[in-house]
Parts: sequence; structure tokens; C-alpha cells
Amino acid sequence: MPDSLTLVIAFILTVAGMGWFALALEAHWAQVYGDATCPPALQRRLRWLGGLALLGSLMLCLAVDHATMAALVWFMTLTASAMIVAFTLSWRARWLAVLLPGVRVGLN
Amino acid sequence: MFQNLRLSMAWLHTWFGLVLGFVLMVVFFFGALSVFDREIDRWAIPSSRFEAQPMPSFDKVLKPVFETMQPSAQRIDRLRDKVNGPVPTHFTTPTRWGAYTTHRDPVLGMFVGYEVPNAKEPETLIFASRTIDPRSGVSLPDDQLKIGSGFFYPLHYSLTFYWKNLGYWIVGLSALIMLAALVSGVIMHRKLFRELFTFRPKKNKQRSLLDLHNLTGVVALPFHFFFALTGLVIFAGIYFPITHTQLEPLHELHEELDAEETGLPHKRAGVPAPIGSVDAMVVEAQRRWAEKGMAGDVGFLAVQHVGDANSYVSIYRAGTDRIALTGEGIHFKASTGEVLREDPPSSAVDSVNEFLTGLHLQHFRHWLLRWLYVLGGLAGCVCIATGFLFFVEKRKRQHAKQGSQGARVVDALAVTTVTGMVVAALGILIANRLLPESMATGWPQRQAMERYIFWGVWALAMVHAFWRSAPVAQGRLNPAWREQCLAIAGLAIVAVMLNWVTTGGHLLRTLSASYWPVAGVDLFMLAGAGVALSAARKLKQRAQRVSAVQPNSSGPAHA
Repeated sequence: MPDSLTLVIAFILTVAGMGWFALALEAHWAQVYGDATCPPALQRRLRWLGGLALLGSLMLCLAVDHATMAALVWFMTLTASAMIVAFTLSWRARWLAVLLPGVRVGLN
Repeated sequence: MFQNLRLSMAWLHTWFGLVLGFVLMVVFFFGALSVFDREIDRWAIPSSRFEAQPMPSFDKVLKPVFETMQPSAQRIDRLRDKVNGPVPTHFTTPTRWGAYTTHRDPVLGMFVGYEVPNAKEPETLIFASRTIDPRSGVSLPDDQLKIGSGFFYPLHYSLTFYWKNLGYWIVGLSALIMLAALVSGVIMHRKLFRELFTFRPKKNKQRSLLDLHNLTGVVALPFHFFFALTGLVIFAGIYFPITHTQLEPLHELHEELDAEETGLPHKRAGVPAPIGSVDAMVVEAQRRWAEKGMAGDVGFLAVQHVGDANSYVSIYRAGTDRIALTGEGIHFKASTGEVLREDPPSSAVDSVNEFLTGLHLQHFRHWLLRWLYVLGGLAGCVCIATGFLFFVEKRKRQHAKQGSQGARVVDALAVTTVTGMVVAALGILIANRLLPESMATGWPQRQAMERYIFWGVWALAMVHAFWRSAPVAQGRLNPAWREQCLAIAGLAIVAVMLNWVTTGGHLLRTLSASYWPVAGVDLFMLAGAGVALSAARKLKQRAQRVSAVQPNSSGPAHA
């Protein structure tokens, strides 16, 4: 796999991971799914998913570059992903529903 | 003094942030631009618009150039009070020849350090510098400003204010205060994790400003922290000048012991000796790197004690694929080409230092990481700018009632450092395209003119910001914000057009040739124009809304 593709996947994973972390927060869950509250079990699972996604992305970064450089790439990717998720929540919150294909979008 | 820790932190964050925020804004913005300093150089010097080149042949290209290099008249002039008796006009004893290149340099920067006869301080050197086209060895005119690496970059770390090194100290103090601002900001923030992803643009102005301030501060916190810290580490020698103060007596001894240990002569022998083939030494160095599984290009090449029997050549590998700038130095006896020393692997402390400085100076090849650094730098700018705006928004109505001018002054300074700075940066790029190749007699040099125009445009932006600031004293918006946004959009488009007209390097051409260094600068300016235009439009809508509805103050108080 070319390095650029690996890094793109790593980036997508951190965006998804940050998105799952955001959905585990009540305020953001409400922005995406309306009034329906998030079951606590799902909330826990979202945090696990988020953590695993970030870990996976770190692994991919390490596969491409020397560890010293990979660490920098990963940290900066976290920053960029958190911003992407935050701005998506500000203007297109419902788009985050794509991260949980099983959950039906609330009615309001 | 304060009721609790949070309030005292808020005081510190607000006032220190306000005072040094203006400096930090400059540091962040020009730091972000310096990520692509060499690309901006190519935009500004059309004769350097070709592909990056490896280190050329020393014997054929570099040596003849080194031998003709002499310090500039300005440098000689600055030597006047450092010499007993008359200042020489021609220098004959080169202590050091050096050339440094990276994977992003089409042209090669070279320097020579000459011994100064009759100097008051024994180790005084005077430097000559030159930029050449490494393909032909032809020198570029000295009077061409490398706007990226020769102006924006020094602005980032020294404000180009060199008198008694004051610029370095101001920037260093600001970096230190920034670390304090980060810590106090985290303590003040009540919901660091719960509001990590929170930006509510539709809430009231103070709330959304604070959201954006927190967001850009917190999500880029590792970047902010490490760049402030590593910036201080890079200039630790300036901030703690112990080797030339308290430890001065040990300095000479240390150098002698160091020379004894490494086998690299500390002083000239006083016996002239010709220099052997450095190209052969480069081949040997590259063979040794390849043997270690680290095949690579030459990043830094230096000759010490030139022309003397004690002369030696140091060849360092370019750190293109790692964080450290250069490494794996191999040192040869200049006259014979015999290997004197191969640098051992870095110690733990050296490795940490190389990592910390290298991650900030970024001479590695990683385009994604470069762009992420730009994002981090711009996030810092947004964080500081929203800090200023929040300060003003929180106080301006109260100040309007009291008849105080505080908010008005801070707002005008914010206009100057936020939009005014961008206007000035575009000003120097436009001046670069419009000024004649060399200035007429009686005028300052071309490169000086470019810098004067930068400061002149910035001063004008400041005058404009203050001149239009009266509405702030009545609790309204300064129209200078919108007007300077429009100026940014207009100037950015003019700069891109001028690049087309004066060099023929328009976007269709640079993009179809995939010449990203120049296309990237043009595209970045056009993107900036787009952002500035949409900001101007929003500001206009807001101004109309505010004049339609009487403003009512609201919003949470925090900081």
C-alpha cells in the first residue's frame, strides 16, 4: 500500500474516532439524533470505538514513518480531526450519523 | 488578592495575554508562513524557480565561489568598533567555509567566516554570504530578498529587531508567557473535555468567540505547548548565554579538550597546505552512510581552517527522512582526505535536543505534516485573535457608558495585528513584483525597499485602524475590520495577477507543470482572498443587523 494511502486511512480513522468520542457526549448526541438519549451501554461502546480508532491510526502512522516523525504526524492529525468534528457539529451535525449506520436518525 | 485560583488565573491570562498577544500573533502568523519559507523564496525570486538540487560538486562548483566571496560593505561597516585601528577592506584568512541545503532548496546558500586581524575580541569573525545556482555555479545578485527564509522567517523569531538582540528577547519572553497562558487557560476552562468539540456560531457573540478561542486553544494544545517550548530550547544559547558569561574562562579549555578528544584541530597550524579533492571525501562519506543502511544526500558541508595544514572537512547527512536536521557527520583531513573521525551515535541528551529543535525547524520531507503545522499555526492565530475580540466585546459597552477609550484602543491594535499584518505581508509580495531589478542611485537597495514597504504598509493599516475606531467607543463595530478584509482580498488577487504578468508563471501553467512551490503560494493567497471576502460579507450583514435592532448586551461572563 502506498504511504500516502496509509496516511489517508490513518486520517479517516482519527476523524471517525473523534466523531465517536463526540457522540459519547450528551450535548453532541442530541445535536445529531435529537431528543432520543443515548443508552449508557452504547455510550461506553462509543468511547471504546473512539479509543481503538485512534490507536489504529497511530499504528498506521508508525508503519509509514520513523517513530519520531509518526508521533508528530499522529498528534497533529488529532488536532485537525477534532477541528473537523467540531465544525461539522456546528454546521452539519447530522452528518455525524454516518458514523453509526445502525442507529436511525431521530425525527426532529 | 483574588478569591480563588481560577480568578487569579483569569487575571493572568487576560492581561498577560493581551500585552504579549500582539507579539505572539506575529510569531504565529509568520511562523505558519515560514513552514513554506523556501517556496515563498521561489515565488519572490523568479530566477530560482526550478527543481530542488542536491549539493553540487565542491571541487568544480563550490571552491571557485568560496574563493571569491568577500563580506558586504554593511558587514564591514558594523565591524568598526570591534577592531583596533583601521578596518580592513579585504579579508584573506578564511576560518570556515560552509554550504547548507535541504530537499526543498533549488538555490544554494553559502557562507565564509573570515578571521578579523586586530580584533578586540580574539575569536571575532566576519561573514560573507552568497546564493548560487548549483547547476551552473553562477551567483544570484546579492540584492534579492528571499522573502520567505530571509524576511518572514527572521520576523517569526526576532521581529527583525536586532539591536542588542532585543527582538529575540521579546519573542522569548512572549513564548514563556504563552506557556503560562496555556496553563492558566486550561485551569480557567471549566469543561475542557465536555466542550472539546463545541463551537456554537449561532449563540451570542461573546459565547461564540469564547467557544472558538477554547476550541483552537485546546485541540491544538500539544502543538502550542511544544512549539513554545522548543522555540525556547532552540535559542537557549541566547537566553542563557553562560558559555560567554559565567563560564567564559572554561570556554577555551572546553574547546581544547573537545579538540583533543575528537582529534579535530582546534587552531591553525600556521603551515599552508592545499585542499585535496572534497568530492572524493563526499563519495567516501556516502559510502559509509550506505554501509550503515542510511544512504542519503549531503545536507551540510564545511571546511575549517581553510588553506592550513590543520584544515579539515566535515560532511553531514541531510535529515530529510528524520526529525534531526543533519547528522552522521564524518570529518576528513583536508589535505589528504584521510578520515579523522566519524561522529558516534548521538547520546540520549543530544537525541532529545535534536528531536526538540528538529520538530520545530522541520527540514524533513513530509508534506502532510507541513500542512498540519500550518493548520496549528493558524489555529494559534485564531485563538489569539478571538482572545482580543472577546476582551473587546466583554468591555466595550461598559466602556462606552463610562466614556473610557480602553476597548477602542485594544480593538484598533487588534485590527492592526490581525488584518493589518496580512495586508503588510501582501504588500511586500506586491512590492517584490513591482520594484525594478535594481534601484536607481540615491535610493535604498531593492531588498531594503521591500522591507520598508512592508513596515510602511503595516503602519498605514494601523493609522487606518485607529482613524476608523470611533464607533467602538460607542459600543459598536470598527468598520476598519471590514475594510481591511476587503483590502486583503483585493491585494491577494493583485499579487497573484502580478506574478502572472511579471513572470508568466500563472496558475494554469504552474499547475499543469505541477510546479507546486509557486502554484501553492498563489493558491494560498487566493484562498485567503476568499476567506477575507466572506468575512467582509458577514461583517456587513452584522453591521446592518445591529443598526436595524438596538443592541442589547447579553452573554456569559468568563475571563
